[in-house]
Amino acid sequence: MENNPEYYVQGVCAGNRKALAKTITLIESSLPKHQELTTKVLDRLLPFSGNAIRLGISGVPGVGKSTFIESLGMNLVEHGHRVAILAVDPSSTQSGGSILGDKTRMEKLSVQPNAFIRPSPAGGTLGGVSRKTRESLLVCEAAGFDVIMVETVGVGQSEVSVASMVDFFLLLMLAGAGDDLQGIKRGILELADAIVVNKADGDNLEKALQAKQIYADAMHLFSADTAEWLPPVLTCSALHIHGIDEVWETVLKHHKQLTATCALEQKRKKQALAWMRTLLEEGLKDWFYQIPEVQKLLPDLTREVERGASTPTAAVKKLLNSLNN
Amino acid sequence: MADHADIHNWQQMAEKELRGTTVDALKKPTPEGIDIKPLYTAEDLEQIDFVNNLPGVDPFVRGVRATMYTNRPWTIRQYAGFSTAKESNRFYRKNLAAGQKGLSVAFDLPTHRGYDSDHPRVTGDVGKAGVPVDSVEDMKILFDGIPLDKMSVSMTMNGAVLPVLAGYIVAAEEQGVSQEKLMGTIQNDILKEYLTRNTYIYPPEPSMRIVSDIIGYCSKNMPKYNTVSISGYHMMEAGADSVLQAAFTIADGIEYVKAAIKAGLDIDEFAPRLSFFFGIGMNFFMEIAMLRAARFLWADLMKQFNPKNPKSLMLRTHCQTSGWSLTQQDPYNNIIRTTLECLAAVLGGTQSLHTNSFDEAVSLPTDLSARVARNTQIIVQEESQVTRVVDPLGGSYYVESLTNSIITEARKIINEVDELGGMAKAIVSGMPKMRIEESSARRQARIDQGKDVIVGVNKYQVEDEAPMEVREISAEVRDQQVARLNEIKGKRDNAAVEKALAAITNCAQTGGNLLEVSIEAVRKRATVGEISDAMEKVFGRYVATTQCISGIYASEYQDNDIIASLRKRTDDFVQKEGRRPRILVTKMGQDGHDRGSKVVATAFADFGFDVDISPMFQTPAEAARMAIENDVHVVGVSSLAAGHKILVPDLIAALKEEGGDDVLVVVGGIIPPADYEFLHDAGVSNVFGPGSVITESANQVLNALENR
Repeated sequence: MENNPEYYVQGVCAGNRKALAKTITLIESSLPKHQELTTKVLDRLLPFSGNAIRLGISGVPGVGKSTFIESLGMNLVEHGHRVAILAVDPSSTQSGGSILGDKTRMEKLSVQPNAFIRPSPAGGTLGGVSRKTRESLLVCEAAGFDVIMVETVGVGQSEVSVASMVDFFLLLMLAGAGDDLQGIKRGILELADAIVVNKADGDNLEKALQAKQIYADAMHLFSADTAEWLPPVLTCSALHIHGIDEVWETVLKHHKQLTATCALEQKRKKQALAWMRTLLEEGLKDWFYQIPEVQKLLPDLTREVERGASTPTAAVKKLLNSLNN
Repeated sequence: MADHADIHNWQQMAEKELRGTTVDALKKPTPEGIDIKPLYTAEDLEQIDFVNNLPGVDPFVRGVRATMYTNRPWTIRQYAGFSTAKESNRFYRKNLAAGQKGLSVAFDLPTHRGYDSDHPRVTGDVGKAGVPVDSVEDMKILFDGIPLDKMSVSMTMNGAVLPVLAGYIVAAEEQGVSQEKLMGTIQNDILKEYLTRNTYIYPPEPSMRIVSDIIGYCSKNMPKYNTVSISGYHMMEAGADSVLQAAFTIADGIEYVKAAIKAGLDIDEFAPRLSFFFGIGMNFFMEIAMLRAARFLWADLMKQFNPKNPKSLMLRTHCQTSGWSLTQQDPYNNIIRTTLECLAAVLGGTQSLHTNSFDEAVSLPTDLSARVARNTQIIVQEESQVTRVVDPLGGSYYVESLTNSIITEARKIINEVDELGGMAKAIVSGMPKMRIEESSARRQARIDQGKDVIVGVNKYQVEDEAPMEVREISAEVRDQQVARLNEIKGKRDNAAVEKALAAITNCAQTGGNLLEVSIEAVRKRATVGEISDAMEKVFGRYVATTQCISGIYASEYQDNDIIASLRKRTDDFVQKEGRRPRILVTKMGQDGHDRGSKVVATAFADFGFDVDISPMFQTPAEAARMAIENDVHVVGVSSLAAGHKILVPDLIAALKEEGGDDVLVVVGGIIPPADYEFLHDAGVSNVFGPGSVITESANQVLNALENR
């Protein structure tokens, strides 16, 4: 890896594809020296970020996320947008490896000069995903992309972290799979700024329209009447490219509404503060377990609690008190 | 209950010979899910109804003809085509003079995918894995001096099936041969293309319409012509076991029958003209039993359509020995493999047969290797005396029982396909492709561990091998094709061509018979690419969804030490570099054989690599861009159709242009050893030829990364 922060900063600002790719690699690196460098690079790039519409896209495996992004992305580049896609793919817990196949379903978009698609392995930790993706998003903005899409496989936790870094969180659904809303946690639905029932085509059209009604009813229940934005439920066929325009119009409408009331700025500020807190908590945790005193005491205390010689409360108190000495 | 020999007595004797272990220990599981016992007896046949049947009658387990080879042996039909129409024609005429009975034309990949030779996406593929045909003029040269009213011609064509079949019909017409005299077979089996070889053009739905249009046209105008050759061969080559091959092939066939009936055809009008094409590998008795089982299943399943003609129940088949079973190492062993596979096809009762040449693991056949391949069949046919008796294995306890087991297992899979709504829907669901890929990854893991023995590859390797002479296609072939294409376009009546092409687009949109309008366009000298484009305007070009499963290779591979040491190496890499080794597995050009790249992708992910998979049919520039954008350490190129000498240097140049000098390039697939030096000189760090062990390849890639 190149060690000079200037290489990354200048390359990204010039819109150089390779420099952007290398900067994301740097962000994703687990080496402390790379993380230090990342901080330097991000500090310099931050002033150039913030100018894109940030769109999060999630849904269960097989819902057609990549195909949806291919269709929406092609639509956007044809209208002169510059589109970056950050896709997070699961890593195997057994081998640590991963298969990153998103681009096989983004065949047209992936060769467009105004598109940048970067699949990333989730790696070990969920926190890792959100840190890396959040920072990569900023870098793509600095590189001049005006629409950034973040794609994750819906497994519950990842939706929360994606929703916490985008302006608009879009949940893709299938007809049939959620007739009775089972398996979809209310918490996830509450995060959505829109629900889009995909694969509304052919034999499936009827079922998709039914599903749309069911989700629309559910969303009404969840949303307060006073809410500024009532998340709409739409249908589309990413494969046959129907309904994609409507989805984008919805995103724009939302964006306009939020910008007009300064709500977008507020939302991003809130996200940044929440993110700071998360980082602080993670940092505290890491720092805490690195303290020699803690490392010394913890194994003994663990055994004591196991044996029943001490209560968990007492053990924790003892551990925390040890820091005061 | 009939009287049976005392099996307990045998068991006791056997266990004495086994010194303590039980007879059960001799039971061998197979990938097909059938446990093979060490001994079969008459008792095993008690519940099987079809055993005591006769050849020539339903369910045809013992053969489709009453006399089989005792009256007329199978047709020796060698598949060939390369370089140019003129070269291929010369090769055909020589082979026919030497005892071959039917022709079988191999087209190059651009033709398959409906591109003319001057298309920018096909620079590396013209004339490589078959003959390029851009227009009827090429077709006329191809069949020059071959009387098409007497010669049965088989054409392997699925994607660009309309312009190619139309080209054959018009070439015959201009030879003075009318349509009803034409005999032979067009493969026209599009469903399996979505499963394995990927030489489709349009999405499944319009492609199925093309199939029924051809069936419809031929049943009226070409009564001696086989309109679909339902193929399992490519599934086997992609790694399917015998049960999967039989089940998915039969299920494909049923789907075509349903499509033709839906198009308004009478079952007896077209069913007798459907034929099959199976691949025959090294599991000798399994292959024989598969052919017998397939005949039973077809006859049984066709009854639901109430045909009156018994020929509608008959599974007639062509067979080909397995190309996948051939090795680059110690290649003369391939003659022996092909001989065994040839014998299995014959004992299984095939109607025609192609035997592979021993050099096909690395290149197209030379004159010598083609002669040996042909003579393999002639020797079995004329020297070995196996043709003296119909179905000589009929009544064998083992073979009959195995036939029955395959029927049972294949039926389960056919039922699964039915539940998904038939094969077209099943393909969209991804189920058949995943099954085949799983079977393939498991097989690779068994071979890499030496559990499935391949002599010369994982056992009894030869140290110093003498280089073998290989056939090479010169780069000028494309220039010649392009020159002729320009000449044709200069001489023809372009207004008439435009009109004919508009008629095709219109027919695609509003209905009518697409073969009929294609024939008209070919008469006017429209090209394969133009006719394909005229339909693409309406149908679109199909983009496959690539799915890839992980964990399969590692779960079949039981030597945990080797897997663990690879995982340790990739973990160490993370400690040093801050991320996992990342590899882009890509296929460039029009070569759609993705078995190898899939197996490599899933195995490398199992070893702890981050593996990017590219879309199919990339250009070198597109692959380079993806490598840069995803920031991979290595690009792994899979090449099976001889395009590597053009595509790989182009890739390396494109990488350099984008600043990716540090990206390693490795190449795997069918690469003649003579090309290794060329590739190394071009900047390739490692070449993995046929028979490479994946764990070993992964270690070499890691070595190369460490030595950067």
